[in-house]
Amino acid sequence: MMSGKWRGGRSLKILVAVAVGLALVVISFIGSSVGSRIVGSEPMGFLTVGVPEYHPAPERPFSNLPITNTMITAWVSILILGGLFFVGTRNMKPIPGGLQNLLELVVEAAANFIEDPAGKEHGRWFFPVCTTIFLFVVVNAWVSLMPGFETIRINGEPLLRSANTDLNVPAALAVVSFCFIEYWGFKAKGASYLKTFFNCRPLGQALKSIVSGNIKAGAGGLLNGVVAIFAGLLEILSHLIRMMSFTFRLFGNMTAGMILVMIAAYLIPWVLPSLFYGLEAFFGIVQAMIFAGLTLGFACAAVMEEE
Amino acid sequence: MEIWSEVAKVIGAGLAMGLGALGPGIGIGILGMGAMNALGRNPEARGPIMTNMILAIAFAEAVAIYALVVAILLIFVA
Repeated sequence: MMSGKWRGGRSLKILVAVAVGLALVVISFIGSSVGSRIVGSEPMGFLTVGVPEYHPAPERPFSNLPITNTMITAWVSILILGGLFFVGTRNMKPIPGGLQNLLELVVEAAANFIEDPAGKEHGRWFFPVCTTIFLFVVVNAWVSLMPGFETIRINGEPLLRSANTDLNVPAALAVVSFCFIEYWGFKAKGASYLKTFFNCRPLGQALKSIVSGNIKAGAGGLLNGVVAIFAGLLEILSHLIRMMSFTFRLFGNMTAGMILVMIAAYLIPWVLPSLFYGLEAFFGIVQAMIFAGLTLGFACAAVMEEE
Repeated sequence: MEIWSEVAKVIGAGLAMGLGALGPGIGIGILGMGAMNALGRNPEARGPIMTNMILAIAFAEAVAIYALVVAILLIFVA
């Protein structure tokens, strides 16, 4: 009896929630600029969102200064990160509480994530760069979900725009990660790291055995030697292409998210964008994890001993 | 003649996105199938399977994102 009554109350609540949600969807669709044209009603002023327009290049809100709006956002997220860590670690206690606890949680999770595949010693090398990339990307992605982004306008240009939607920011991060991967490779292996790219030893051995008269073994080794040199050249190419794929993965994901929210706001304002905001928050952390995790994975591959 | 370059841009962008989404779609389907199989065999490994599946899906999705970048470049830049 009791449970039946309780269950009835709960299903009524769900019903009311669903009905309210549907009503919101219908009202905002009818009021929007697309829906009002389909239904033939008057568009409601506060629901009409302009046709989404996307500019690939970042805008300059202060017309005479070479400062783009994505730069301003990057500064904002740097300030947020720096401020958070400054305030959280100003007077540290042995038993952390509040903000310090949260920051320690993040840093510890990152340290475990990195030391798991890389090991203790190499994990110490990778930790600062990978964690910084992760935090910068995720803060950039989440900051751009705040109200005011792309709506506050100065001289007709938006003052703030997600830094990851500017091709320069992912490209800069990709170049940083590329340089650090090569640096770690040289640090771990010394000059013999170059053998990854220029592997002439099999060819040299084959030529040596041909010269010394063992033509049968030398001819077989000749092909292997040429293939090894070719594989080394391909390795150079793959290291360079990696930078591009890093860049376009982050840029494309974040830009796609921005356009998706714009189009959602155009079709069904007020209801659909709030769903996509949740999706965007999730994709922000996933993309940050992928950027940092791929840097970590390639760095592990670079420092790993062969054979 | 001006209109034909516009037409070519729009058709090219649509083809780039549509064909570029085919492979990643199949890939994500196979990934989901693999994850479900693993989950059926080993239900207590739910957490790691979930994390790795999302990571792998993001890699497959990146290919579609490259197609999207090409489509955006075609429409807005070319």
